[in-house]
Amino acid sequence: MTTNEEFLVFPGCMIGNRLPYLEKSARLVFEKLGLKPKESSFSCCPDPIGIQGSDHTTWLSLGARNLSLAEAENKNIVSLCNGCTQTLTVVNHELKHSEQKRNKINKILKEVGKEFKGTIDVSHFLTYLLHEVGVDAIKKKVVKPLTGLKVACHTGCHYMRPTEIMGVEENHESPQNLRKVVTATGATVVDWDEEHLCCGYAIERADPDVSYARLKGKLDSAIKGGADIIVAICPTCFSHMDNNQRNLTKKYETEYKTPVLYLTEILALAMGFSSDEIGLKNHRSKGDLKERFGGE
Amino acid sequence: MPFFPEYEIKKQVMDLHMGDKVHYCYQCGRCDDVCPVTKLVGADRYSPRSLVMLGLLGLTHVLLVDTPKNQFALWGCQTCDLCDEICPNDIVLTDIFNILKNASIKQQLAPEAYQQQAKMVMETGYSVPLQDAIARRRDKMELPELPKADLTEIQKILKITNFDKKIGYEAPKEEN
Ligand code: SF4
Ligand code: SF4
Repeated sequence: MTTNEEFLVFPGCMIGNRLPYLEKSARLVFEKLGLKPKESSFSCCPDPIGIQGSDHTTWLSLGARNLSLAEAENKNIVSLCNGCTQTLTVVNHELKHSEQKRNKINKILKEVGKEFKGTIDVSHFLTYLLHEVGVDAIKKKVVKPLTGLKVACHTGCHYMRPTEIMGVEENHESPQNLRKVVTATGATVVDWDEEHLCCGYAIERADPDVSYARLKGKLDSAIKGGADIIVAICPTCFSHMDNNQRNLTKKYETEYKTPVLYLTEILALAMGFSSDEIGLKNHRSKGDLKERFGGE
Repeated sequence: MPFFPEYEIKKQVMDLHMGDKVHYCYQCGRCDDVCPVTKLVGADRYSPRSLVMLGLLGLTHVLLVDTPKNQFALWGCQTCDLCDEICPNDIVLTDIFNILKNASIKQQLAPEAYQQQAKMVMETGYSVPLQDAIARRRDKMELPELPKADLTEIQKILKITNFDKKIGYEAPKEEN
């Protein structure tokens, strides 16, 4: 590995400021794989839904500021969150491809002594794992293969769409990247109809009932596919699916308790870290996590 | 009731990088067909096809009126981008929705949580700022402190973009 060995990790507000146990598992996995990411004083990416929806120019400006921090260190950004990945990728794309927008935003950044140059790339950690680390290298670190564990992979919308800009070489209706990495842990990936659909988080603020109906569709589909757990690569999808199953249980009078693991949690478990080391007890939808992985 | 197109919004929609393509939205409705929200609530409550039409014609005054129905008709999008992928004319519908949403938040018509999030970014630089309880949890898990964003710099940027006015922000009153 050359240029990418030292990347800047972009954890995003959700992981750093709300779900630190996910960060813990990520750090352990980085270490196990010999990765040495650095950090930077990034702000909110900012959120592709809320802040882009509030003011497009502000969204571009703050996104460009974050990108300029990485440019100054000549390092690529690898993000642990789909939302951050999408914002930074799309802002990077928009400003690289439109001189007019670039000039407009650089005029703003100049006031704080920064400039967007368009010299670095952004990717999600899943993409990094596949292309820079490789499935074989992951397999070599697996000491507790998750044989028999049936996993529904939830890639999440903002990792792959819009496909033209995100450039992750996925068929967005049948994403494979996450399946490849999950398979490397020894687990079995199941087929489910709603794999490519939204978890429903983004409409919770407009109408929670519709949001939960969407989530119900997702869970019913995963259960029908025979999944023991769901694996997500986005902290927001993770949090929505982990937190709200109790709401579904109340609303639909059926018990929902499918555990949801974040990408680096399932990797950490397969790499031999214990449930306690990665704070698995912090999950809300516990299901049979304890029987499977032990711990407090 | 007579009505007139909102030329400013219409212009913004037409000026999008795919402005020439937007012309050719022939209202085929494939976006409605693929939209998971339309599937759940029906096109009466949420329809990407209608949003494109309203934006394109500048008839947004029907949308930018304070009713719960209108609020969901715009903010009910889960931004999953499925419609963007299916549109035969390569229209990036979600970009059009953002123009409409920007206009909506300016008139304080967005769901409260969006206004709150925007305020949070103004005040802290983050959508989800670090709370004391989480800081303690980080310590307990032996996680190092993350570098803090430079708030002065961020607020300077937000001042230039007039973010406060755009989201109807009122600064907390100083006590003295
Ligand atoms: S799919 Fe495209 S062309 Fe068809 S109605 Fe929707 S926006 Fe218009
Ligand atoms: S992006 Fe919005 S309008 Fe388009 S398919 Fe998804 S929920 Fe529907």
